[in-house]
Order: sequence, then structure tokens, then C-alpha cells
Amino acid sequence: MKEIVIKASGVHKTYNETKVPVHALRGVDLEIEKGEFTAIVGPSGSGKSTLLNIIGGLDRPSEGKIEVGGKDISTLSDNQLIDFRRENIGFVFQAYNLIPVLTAKENVSFVMELQNRSKTEVDNRVKELLDAVGLGDRGDNRPAELSGGQQQRVAVARALAPKPTFILADEPTANLDSTSTANLLDIMARLNKEENITFVFSTHDRRVVDRARRVITLVDGKIQTDEHFKR
Amino acid sequence: MLAKISWKNIWRNPVRSFVVIGAVIMGIWALLFLMSFSNGLISSYIKNSIQNETSHLQIHHPEFHKDKEIKYIIPEAIDLENELRNDPMVKSVARRTLCNGMASSAKGGRGVMIKGIDPEKEIEVTGLDGKVTQGKFFDTKKKNPILIGEKLAEKLKLKLRSKIVLTFQDAQGEIVAGAFRIVGLYKTGNTRMDELNVYVKDSDLSRLLNMENSSHEIALVLKDFEQTKPLAAEWKKKYPELLVEHYGEISPDLDLFQEQIKINMSIFIFIVMLALIFGIINTMLMAVLERMRELGMLMAIGMNKIKVFGMIVMETIMLALIGAPIGMLFGFLTIRYFNNRGIDLTSFSEGLEQFGMDNFVRPEIGSDFYIQIAIAIFITAVLASIYPALRAIRLKPVEALRKI
Ligand SMILES: Nc1ncnc2c1ncn2[C@@H]1O[C@H](COP(=O)(O)OP(=O)(O)O)[C@@H](O)[C@H]1O
Ligand SMILES: [Mg+2]
Repeated sequence: MKEIVIKASGVHKTYNETKVPVHALRGVDLEIEKGEFTAIVGPSGSGKSTLLNIIGGLDRPSEGKIEVGGKDISTLSDNQLIDFRRENIGFVFQAYNLIPVLTAKENVSFVMELQNRSKTEVDNRVKELLDAVGLGDRGDNRPAELSGGQQQRVAVARALAPKPTFILADEPTANLDSTSTANLLDIMARLNKEENITFVFSTHDRRVVDRARRVITLVDGKIQTDEHFKR
Repeated sequence: MLAKISWKNIWRNPVRSFVVIGAVIMGIWALLFLMSFSNGLISSYIKNSIQNETSHLQIHHPEFHKDKEIKYIIPEAIDLENELRNDPMVKSVARRTLCNGMASSAKGGRGVMIKGIDPEKEIEVTGLDGKVTQGKFFDTKKKNPILIGEKLAEKLKLKLRSKIVLTFQDAQGEIVAGAFRIVGLYKTGNTRMDELNVYVKDSDLSRLLNMENSSHEIALVLKDFEQTKPLAAEWKKKYPELLVEHYGEISPDLDLFQEQIKINMSIFIFIVMLALIFGIINTMLMAVLERMRELGMLMAIGMNKIKVFGMIVMETIMLALIGAPIGMLFGFLTIRYFNNRGIDLTSFSEGLEQFGMDNFVRPEIGSDFYIQIAIAIFITAVLASIYPALRAIRLKPVEALRKI
């Protein structure tokens, strides 16, 4: 049995902030299954970030609906959405997305502590994940003491820590050099397999696209191609 | 965990945090100093007035205050004096004969209040001997000694051992005059009073007035000042045919001043709080706007609005709580220093003395005021943090994250 984690139906998004309305998404239908490792690709301005924000409950569609685990999230209030994101979604942003005053360990445990998990559970999970991302010995460093690639690995560990339903990463490698990019992708792919956690990430980097098992191409706010690969 | 993040956050920009902490320190310090200074000034006035003029309690004939006519004597004053002296709450009692008159020297004359006193007892009640600046306090065998204020001596161009003539009406309405010898000059710190009051021996005044053993005023000092008002109330019932008054009734300005102290405190606290609130709002707002992206990220990954709000409030409270004890310590030490040393106001003293205030102000303040300040600062911090915290939670995560 295939388990649908995310379902987008007829999603439109129009930004009305400027005089000319911008149609960032023009009717997106999408289903993502548990355990997928999916890349959303497309040129800059094609609507990748907009789609990820809407799927992640950070923004609302102008039309259409989003179901996560069978639940329509458009009915949730802003406050309920915060709780929903905490319990269900892990985020990795393009840059600067760790809490600068906390150590790597504390960053990874942050969401779990918001969830009031027990101390032993948190400690074990933090250690496990920092080891998994190859930063077992950097747990007490603050983000500023880590390289960009290391910070992004901490961010992946943080997103995974509470075992969310899926992880959204908006251009996670955009600020990284090629070694760090390959390294991060290795880690993401391994954790995707080991923990069977769904990954959806956007990118316009060819090297990243080549690692995905499913590639969705977005052009002008519409899905142009949707291909599956065996990797 | 929230407290930990808040604590770390305030040290991200130490300079800015120290500006807030410094403002709190300065605010509390200034508040304590101003309050203790005005408190010291007013309480010196109250103490002096009570010591030199009103004592704790006074007893008169009910009509006496109207025009201070000498016929309004206290009946059986000597018996009453002895009775009061034996009251366990009473520390000292002085009985006085009072009479309005004219003091004249070769250089002119002035209206005065002649107070006939028993020197021994007067010392116990007003400590008048301690106010003598030249000569002696009635320590003389000579006839008709008189003690006058320095100020009066100056006005009438009189010196120690000069002769002064007092003219007044006796009990029968006859004008009598008596020549007195100045044995001492005194100074209480209240020049208006020093110009008005002259002190002679009760026996001398009674003889001239032709009314032996009769008195117009009994002044008392109690063992416990705090008991003054309750005891006055009790005695009013006990001696309905007499006028019993406490210091606040004799000199209503004293009660007013005591009220004024409380009002001053509130006004000072309010002003300092207001200044601090605007300063803190400004700084915390900067701290919030600078961290938009991060706050957006926190809400994106699931930190709810209550926690974000709480974090900003807590940061503000922490800054205030660091500043408050330091400000209080500075204030406390400053007050103690100046309380020991006194602040010399001699350059303003002409003005102050007229009102019976000391040249040396000794700032003082009750310990309860420190608690009031602590509460006020806490409230200030909470009030000041509300707007920045609201700004923080009004952020939309997507928009905040988009900003670089
Ligand atoms: N807040 C916004 N207001 C107005 N236009 C926006 C906003 N966010 C994105 N857009 C526009 O929507 C389109 C899609 O943007 P985006 O989703 O960021 O694309 P991508 O992530 O693929 O580069 C772009 O034309 C962009 O300019
Ligand atoms: Mg984008």
C-alpha cells in the first residue's frame, strides 16, 4: 500500500502585493508518497519556493487545497499552523537558519524541547543525529564556529530530530561549494533510506537533481514534467 | 529553555544591552537620590518644627488660639502637668506662660511672642539650650534674664548683655513694661520663628502679668512618636474642657508635608518609569527588527507565538533585573554616604532657613521604598516589552524569511 503524505490539488497562488499581480503558481496538482526523495527543479522565479511554502503551511494558496496525511491544512489558523509545522514538518532553509546563540546540540534538540520530549530521549536522538551528519565532535560549537556546509548539516539534523512526517528543503545547497553539496546530499539520501523520512527539496543545481529519485520540473508556476528514476 | 535563550540573546549585542542596563541603573539611582533628598529635606523640616515649635502634643484653653488673650489660661495647670508627667507614655512636659508684646531697644521695636518657661523643663521638651549660640541658657542669678533669637538681636541691633524692654498688657489690662537682660542668643534654623519668640523665666513673666501659677500652654514629648495621634485622640475624650492637639493639628503644614512626600514618590517613580519605558521600547524594538529573519525561522519550525512573545518579554525583564540591584546598591551607598556627611546647602540657606529647614540635608529613605522601586521596574520592563514582543509575533514567517 502506498501512503500519500502530501497532496496538492489545483493550487494557485497570486501575489497581490505590487500593482501588477504575480501568478506564481497556476494550478499545481501533486501527490507525494512516504519515503520519496523528490527534487523540485525549475528556473529562478518558476514558483519553487512558493510551492514549498504552501506545502509547508508557511503560506496559504489563493486557490486549491493542501492535504497533509489526509488532513486539509487550509482550515488551520495561524497558531494551529505553527503547532502543525512543529509536529509534522522539518525545515531546512537556504541559509542562516540556525539559532545563532545556541550550540549545534541545542539547535538540534530545540524542536524536541518545544515538544516537551523527555531529556534522555532528546539527548540520545541529538547524539545519534550529530553522529549521522558527521558532526559528533562539534556538538558544543555555535553556528558561527562552523562552516556553511557544517551548519547545513546541523540544520538537516535539526529537521530530522523530531521524526517529522516529511522534510522540506528550499535550495539547501545554494550557498555551498561542491564538496559540501555532495556531502550534504549523501547524508540526506542516507537518512532518507535509514529513517524512511520523506524529503522534498528545491534546487536548480544539476548535481543535486541527479541524486533525486523523482524530479518535478516547474515552469511558470505549472508542473511541466514529473519523472521517476531508480537510484 | 526559553529563559536560557533569552539570557543568551541579551548578550548578542552587549553594548546595546548595557545601554538598557545602564539606563535602569541611572534611573533607579537618580530616583533613590532625588527621593531621599526631598525626603531628607522635608523630614528635617518636620523634625525641626516638632522639636522647636509644636512638640508632639500641646494643651491649651479651648479659646486660646483665637486671639491668644492672656485670660485663656489652663485651669489647675500645675496639677495637670504633674498628672501628665506621671503618664507612662509621656517622656517630658513643659508648662509655659505666653503673652504677646513689644520688644524694644534703642534702635526700635518689634512685636514678639513672650514665652515664660521653666528652663529645666524646657530643656527636656525642646532642647532649647542646644540652640544657644552665644551666652548661656538662663544659667544666671541675675534678675529678668531673657533669651532672644539671633535674628531679632540683629534687627534690633542688640548684643549679649544688652538691655531690652518688653511691653505688654497684664491680667487687668494695664500696660506694663519690664527691663530684661539678654543672657543668650539662640538660633533654631527657622528665622521667622527666631525673630518672633523670646524666652523669659516663667516666674518673672507671671509676676509682671500679675497672675501667679497660671499657664497657657503645656507641651509634651512622648516616649514613642508613633503614639502621638492615638494618644491625642484618647486625651481629647479624657479632657473635654481642654484643647488637646497633636503636631499635625497645631501646624497643619506638617501633615501636608508628610502627604507631599508620598505624592513626590509617586511622581518621581512615574517620571522615571516613563523615561525608561520609552528607552527600553526603542532598544528592544531594534533588537526585534534586527532578528526578523531568525524570529520568522523560529515560528516556521514551530515555536508558537506565546513562546516568542514570552522570550522577548523575558529578555527585557532580564535586562531590568540586572540593572535594578546595581542601581539600588549605588543608590543605597550614595544615600548612606550623604546621610553621614550631609549635603551642604549653605549657599541656598537664606531661603531654606526661613522655612525652618537645615543647611545640611541628610538624604534618607525607608527600606519599603526599595521594594516599591523593584516592583515599579518590573512593571516598567513588562510594559516596555509588550510593543516589541507584539511586533515580533506579528511577523509572517514567509515574509520574515525572505528578508536577507
Ligand atoms: N511575496 C511576493 N510578492 C510578490 N511576488 C512574489 C513574492 N514571492 C515570490 N514572488 C514572485 O513569484 C514568482 C515565483 O517566485 P518563487 O516562488 O520565489 O520562485 P523560485 O523559488 O522558483 O525562484 C516570482 O516571479 C517572484 O517574483
Ligand atoms: Mg526560491
